[in-house]
Amino acid sequence: MKQHFIAVSLATLIAATPAVSHYGMIIPSDPMISQEDGRSVALTMSFSHPFEVDGMMLETPVSFSVTHEGTTTDLLGSLQSATVMDEQGYTLDYRLERPGTYIFAMEPQPYWEPAEDAFIIHYTKTYVTAYGDDEGWDTELGLKTEIVPLSKPFGLWEHNVFQGIVKLDGAAVPYAEVEVEFLNDRAGATAPDELMITQTVKADANGVFTYAPPSDGWWGFAALNTADYTLTEEGSGEEKAVELGAVIWVHFEEWTGQ
Amino acid sequence: MDGSVIRALALSCLAVAVPFGAAAHQLVVFASVECAAVTVEAKFSNGRVTQQGDVRVLDGENNLLTTLQLGRDGTATVPLDSVDHSGGLVIEVDTGSHDNYWIVTPEDIARKCGS
Repeated sequence: MKQHFIAVSLATLIAATPAVSHYGMIIPSDPMISQEDGRSVALTMSFSHPFEVDGMMLETPVSFSVTHEGTTTDLLGSLQSATVMDEQGYTLDYRLERPGTYIFAMEPQPYWEPAEDAFIIHYTKTYVTAYGDDEGWDTELGLKTEIVPLSKPFGLWEHNVFQGIVKLDGAAVPYAEVEVEFLNDRAGATAPDELMITQTVKADANGVFTYAPPSDGWWGFAALNTADYTLTEEGSGEEKAVELGAVIWVHFEEWTGQ
Repeated sequence: MDGSVIRALALSCLAVAVPFGAAAHQLVVFASVECAAVTVEAKFSNGRVTQQGDVRVLDGENNLLTTLQLGRDGTATVPLDSVDHSGGLVIEVDTGSHDNYWIVTPEDIARKCGS
């Protein structure tokens, strides 16, 4: 009986350990579409723990849009329900009519996270360039919170640094905390310590952060801030804090040299 | 001839003609179909409009159909009734120091012309 109690306690402890971060995700089939690749890009949207490839339910987003050459188009009605990492997600095949950079952005519904006693809203985006034209790669969308890229957010070699400015309500956030996580769906990466699943860097006084990934693949950057408002939690009727995440997904390419 | 064959032909041709395309700024060539005509657009990757250059229009078998000049606005128009586009088109733009191409597939034309 005593052994059984210890086992249950350990299991509870392990399950309760907040070792991984939640990420809103928009993952394109290719961040750089050339004319030889076709005329469209396939997008997969989810809410997950990317390093552990552990999906969570993504409710129908509040908004999903694409911005190209200064024009934003609502695509919410075009999303297709799909299973992503064994959970509810969405897909979209989007035709790229012209060259340039297309920025896909999603605002999810607030996610109630009992373990953190807070709601989570991750404003998520990714940049796709079409047909050899990268104009617009530094576009700022004006989201509630956003990482504005200082490095071109595609066409990066592995080990290149990625830099961005963390913004909240349009203003840079000094010393913002940015969590970084690898989409570990193909590489089979293992973490020697669970502290290494989510990397953490801080922005400088101007809200600028820098990170260099150890490998090619998709890397998610989530700048986290607490909203200046609360939301009512239905179960308790209490007002709860809201974590606002500015998430950007960036692909790093495998270095082809020796 | 489908788009993949055109692409293969165009790429094999261009691989010989353009061994190094990576200048400090590259030429971006695009062509859109409006059923009656193909509009060719060229600009440099730094955003500047390409103000002069030769536009060569080839068919899917790499035969030269016609040659045009880019306008000062970086565009040129190819009336579709002036060329045999049944096998698609390869649009090459050559400024003398930079060149690039765009492939108009039969599917691109059919999609815009509803046939």
